[in-house]
Amino acid sequence: MDVLSGWWDDFFWGSVVVAQVFLASLVLMVIFGLIGAAAKLSGSRIAQKIANGYTIVFRGTPEILVILLLYFGSAITLTAIAQLFNPEIKFLDVPPFWAGTIAIALIVGSYATETFRGAFLGVKPGSIEAAHALGMNTLQVFIYVRVPEMWRLALPAFGNHMLSLIKDTALISIIGLNETLFVAKQAMGATGEPFVMYITVGAIYLGFSTVITLSVMALEHFGSRHMRAET
Amino acid sequence: MSFDVSLILSALPKMLMGIGLTFQLLILSGVLGLMLAIVLMLMRISGKWYLSWPAQVYIYVFRGTPILVQIFIVYYGFPQLDFIRDSFLWPIFRDPFGCATVALTLNTGAYVSEILRGGVLGVDRGVLEAGEALGLNPRQRFTYLTTPIAARLALPAYGNDVISLLKSTALASTITLADMTGIARTLVAQTYAPYEIFISLAIVYMIITFLIQKLMARIERWLGRYTVRTS
Repeated sequence: MDVLSGWWDDFFWGSVVVAQVFLASLVLMVIFGLIGAAAKLSGSRIAQKIANGYTIVFRGTPEILVILLLYFGSAITLTAIAQLFNPEIKFLDVPPFWAGTIAIALIVGSYATETFRGAFLGVKPGSIEAAHALGMNTLQVFIYVRVPEMWRLALPAFGNHMLSLIKDTALISIIGLNETLFVAKQAMGATGEPFVMYITVGAIYLGFSTVITLSVMALEHFGSRHMRAET
Repeated sequence: MSFDVSLILSALPKMLMGIGLTFQLLILSGVLGLMLAIVLMLMRISGKWYLSWPAQVYIYVFRGTPILVQIFIVYYGFPQLDFIRDSFLWPIFRDPFGCATVALTLNTGAYVSEILRGGVLGVDRGVLEAGEALGLNPRQRFTYLTTPIAARLALPAYGNDVISLLKSTALASTITLADMTGIARTLVAQTYAPYEIFISLAIVYMIITFLIQKLMARIERWLGRYTVRTS
């Protein structure tokens, strides 16, 4: 562990970046997934077509390609726009943090689209009819009946989506985000100890995955409390 | 900035030069990964703790860490270890192709073993009881009843994993391999035209994904041929 001395703080800040990317992309992923699911469930043919195109494109393309395209593509577009106003500017890019966050959120959001859609369709018609019979309006049915049933149905798959997100953050190091894998590359250059450095990164990610898995298990336990017999 | 069609026409054949390497990685690690997955799955369902625990730890570690970290550990980390440099395996770890194949195999093996286990656990108990009543011994029941039924149950999820594996082969470009993505990254560095090159490559990947899905659907129909009612 001697080789790691002097690198602990770098790995710590790298882990903070991983956590930040994860949380930001989690929010975006839920938004993309909900929009996609709403479009697929809507009556509009055009919205359905667009949502189908979205899921096909992002599920069939390697993650690294999406990240590279978004980062370099946005940089070239942004530079071209900036040069219209000020020809002096040579290069302008979207920060790797945001390019990468949006990229992985778009990718995992395409999977979440199907999860949310399935959960919405999985709500039992009987529950909804019962709620209507009790005099609830559509909004009340959505808040009190649909959402509580949906999140429970979506949770196992949603947990897997969160694991995909945390693991995809590693790919953002390719476009220069200073997260743990990036730190390991620098540390490898300085110390000549790649094995220890990359094992450390693996351990950090395993820690993140474990926290997510345990949280999902706890939520599942909480979500199924009405299914258990009182003891 | 403009979309240059002639650039696509000149870049596409260059990128397709890498398709052979992409397929080599996909097929080699797909087949080896499936064999590893079968061994891991048998260890997990063996009911013996000294077999099932190591398999569980293996699956937990490889599913909890990013594939990119695994590739870097194999490529940068392993050559640092003397017992690997001295072993007969050194020619594999000296070569980036060998490293990518090893990392992809180890990774996909962990995922696929869980898929196979799901298939085996999904086999209807009644079928096995019927087999027992007919006097089949446990080995025969496993070979003639569990295996074909589990294969059909696991196939849809397995098809998704083959597609993930295809997408993961693109990461081989990070360890200097000139697969399709590797060639595309070199071309983008030369021409600075990320839109044209990355989008056309994304379409190539989507076509391969589509073909894999068709192939899997065909195998699924063949494995499930006894479920179709013939009139």
